[in-house]
Amino acid sequence: MSKPPSDKLPTFKLVVVGDGGVGKSALTIQFFQRLFVTDYDPTIEDSYIQHTEVDAQWCILDVLDTAGQEEFSAMREQYMRKGDGFMLVYSVTDKQSYENIPHFYTQILRVKDRESYPMLLVANKVDLVHLRKVSEEMGRELAHRLNLSYIETSAKDPPLNVDSAFHEVVRIIRNAPPVDGPKKGKGKTKCIIM
Amino acid sequence: MNTEAPTWRLWGEEKCEGAIYTVYLKKVRYHHPSRSITQESDDDEISHLEWETVRVRFLKAGTLEKLIESLASDTGELESTFVNVFLATYRTFASTRQVLNLILERYLALNSSCNKVNVPKHLREDHKKALRLTLQVWLDAYPEDFRDPPMFSCLQQLREFTRVHLPGSDLHIKVGYKLEKMRREEDIKGSPMLERILSCEEIRVHSFSPMTNGDHQPYEFLDICESIFAQQLTRMDTVLFKNVIAHQCLGSVWSRRDRGRGDSAATVTATIEQFNAVSFRVQSTILVDTELKPSQRARLIVKWIDIAQELRLHKNFSSLKAIISGLQSNPIYRLKKTWGAVIKDKSELFEELARIFSEENNQLNQRELLMKEGTAKHAETVHANDRHLHKALEKLAINPLAVSYGTIPYLGTFLTDLTMIDTAIPDTVANGLINFDKKRKEFEVLAQIRLLQGAANAYQLERDERFERWWDSVLVLDDKEAWRLSCQIEPQGSSAPSSTRESKMRKRAQFGHRKNDSIASTSSGSSSSQFFFDNDSINSPTSHNDTCSLERKMSTSSSSSSLPSLDVSVNSGGTTASGRTPERQTGTLQQGLSQQPASSPYITPDFYIIRVSIESGAHEVDGVNLYKSIMLSNSERTISVIRKAMEKHGFEGNPEDYTLAQFLPDGEMLLPASANVYYAINTQHDLNFVLRRRRHGDENTIIRRNPTKDHKIRKKLLMT
Repeated sequence: MSKPPSDKLPTFKLVVVGDGGVGKSALTIQFFQRLFVTDYDPTIEDSYIQHTEVDAQWCILDVLDTAGQEEFSAMREQYMRKGDGFMLVYSVTDKQSYENIPHFYTQILRVKDRESYPMLLVANKVDLVHLRKVSEEMGRELAHRLNLSYIETSAKDPPLNVDSAFHEVVRIIRNAPPVDGPKKGKGKTKCIIM
Repeated sequence: MNTEAPTWRLWGEEKCEGAIYTVYLKKVRYHHPSRSITQESDDDEISHLEWETVRVRFLKAGTLEKLIESLASDTGELESTFVNVFLATYRTFASTRQVLNLILERYLALNSSCNKVNVPKHLREDHKKALRLTLQVWLDAYPEDFRDPPMFSCLQQLREFTRVHLPGSDLHIKVGYKLEKMRREEDIKGSPMLERILSCEEIRVHSFSPMTNGDHQPYEFLDICESIFAQQLTRMDTVLFKNVIAHQCLGSVWSRRDRGRGDSAATVTATIEQFNAVSFRVQSTILVDTELKPSQRARLIVKWIDIAQELRLHKNFSSLKAIISGLQSNPIYRLKKTWGAVIKDKSELFEELARIFSEENNQLNQRELLMKEGTAKHAETVHANDRHLHKALEKLAINPLAVSYGTIPYLGTFLTDLTMIDTAIPDTVANGLINFDKKRKEFEVLAQIRLLQGAANAYQLERDERFERWWDSVLVLDDKEAWRLSCQIEPQGSSAPSSTRESKMRKRAQFGHRKNDSIASTSSGSSSSQFFFDNDSINSPTSHNDTCSLERKMSTSSSSSSLPSLDVSVNSGGTTASGRTPERQTGTLQQGLSQQPASSPYITPDFYIIRVSIESGAHEVDGVNLYKSIMLSNSERTISVIRKAMEKHGFEGNPEDYTLAQFLPDGEMLLPASANVYYAINTQHDLNFVLRRRRHGDENTIIRRNPTKDHKIRKKLLMT
């Protein structure tokens, strides 16, 4: 792993969406928890910003996870507008959270006014094998239907695929075709200088 | 002065049976502390020899028993910070009963002569006192923990304990008082009618309005003065925010939906519902009339921006964010032509307001603002680039009449912080000890919420019933409907409706029904509220709400009824500027009403509004007349009116078991079962009615002179 270069890096804004209770916050915390952080403070400025190396390229990952605010339904689109890429998270122990994924998917595409957008389907809590209600097959089927990549994660110790999931979104953003077709809204989408 | 080394230094950890402590070394003065505090100049004269270092232990983690022990220091002093943290958070690791049992057990152990507790004899009284104080604080700060009807077993247990061991003590008296109070409140709840009176504010709205307010016409959105709007939203938010039980926001309560949260976070849910209700109204007011030109619709957007600015001045960040969210929600945000017609100043103002909630740097803006203004008197902070807000705040600062405000925070940020703390920090450490450091962390957030709740008391806002009626009457659109209307207003790329004829027809059909839609939308709480009026109110135009002269003008000049056919609230929304004078508006209305006899605004070509109370002694409390307004059309038979009245009053049963009678000055008129009520009633007098169970002989009665039983109610109704 090389040192993060000091000059200006591209910033990717990654938004984590999904029902309440699917473990979004656990994924985010797991990804950001540095070793031996005993005095965790959720209010400090850079809690959710991290320099990350993906495929030998450094970038800044700025994660927006509004866990706990799911029921402020009117606000969701406001957050979605800011995202460069999305993690659509459901819990394999909660069928409803799986069934709600297409709703988030549609909402993102509407907000972005695009036919497709960088997103990753995340099946979380796969460690709870005995409580599992959504099979891998169902997950992959949904991913296929929505034309998304699929990954299974667990934030329990030892974590499974947590870093991989965040990195995968970065890859998807990097590989996304340049914007064309319908214009974006008047939103201030981030200008990424590579 | 303080250039020395920090007075606190982490020393390390200390473990003992059932507990882990964090130990700090603290530099303290052993000299008379009072002298140096009052006379700072003495500092120079104090030599180093007057400082000493003491060890201070904080419980980091422990068993529940150890936590209970830690409520007092080793010397028996109440550890007030610890007690506060403990009481605010214990529900995440123990039940009320468990904690109560342990406290009482410890108290008994301290009482007994045996050495079950490791406390020297001479300190035992102090330790006992600390426990008594803890119980008092607990009862005062979290009475809801003990609301466990019908037995109130914890309170019972505590009262029994104090009766035996602490007779005549303050604690004993307090427990007895709380128990009585809760029982009384429970009894009231048990009676269905009284419960409704207490819980359903709607009744108060109806029964008081004819006496206090002369205005029965619903507001129209563009006519509502921004400051009234902001005040009323803030008033609603204040009630909800002050009712929030802070510990319901804790991650382990709020965010663990999969465990079945049930009712355990009802106060949090209520604030969220209000937030969403504001956003939905932003959407619906802007979208519902699809016929508006972009410039007309832009006025609606500007109106909301102006209201948002008022909310900023009121430091109401909850409704402010709700409006910003509504305006940034997709169905509104995408209306490019409409936004294009918003004047530059206003769209800049909008951006300034939206910037407050920028998620950049973990909501830094919002957090800083809350820190600075949370308990300040006025809004005062602006971003360097906030040109428009700056002006507004300057005005506020020089206005000598500006009252001080509380603060309503956006609760969501706290909810996320608490969710993150709960996720990041383990509940237990080292073989299952309760991680009390986590509780301290959570308490930091809870304390902030409680501090702001205290500050919210500074709001002194009067309720405006007309506003509430408007509020209830606004049609609320669901996601899909909002999106559909938005796309109808400005078609989405290629997927726009291709057949213009078809879309025109649809629009026309919609136009025809729109009124009904908006009326229907009021039905959730009070379907008649929008049309409620009363002729007596003309005589009492005193408005208790004189905060805005515009509102006064409106309320005194709009005594005429508003009829569905004349109610232009939705369709005319965009046709007038916000500067339209209320006189002009009522002028047009009165024109429409000119054929009616001016003496009785009840009378309309299509229907009457009647007021139906119910018979029983229980329904009159604190001067509240419990009646419901019912719209009476010209084809209604007695039975259907009775059915409606029963529905409104929440009665079940067979309508045929009830009778309906009109109060008259010298008696009452019982309506025959088969009557057409519209024609049968006596319109020379007030349309006040009573619903009661059928009595023997009712079939043959029509006029009954001065029934004494209902005298009191009748008098009240006639007096209004």
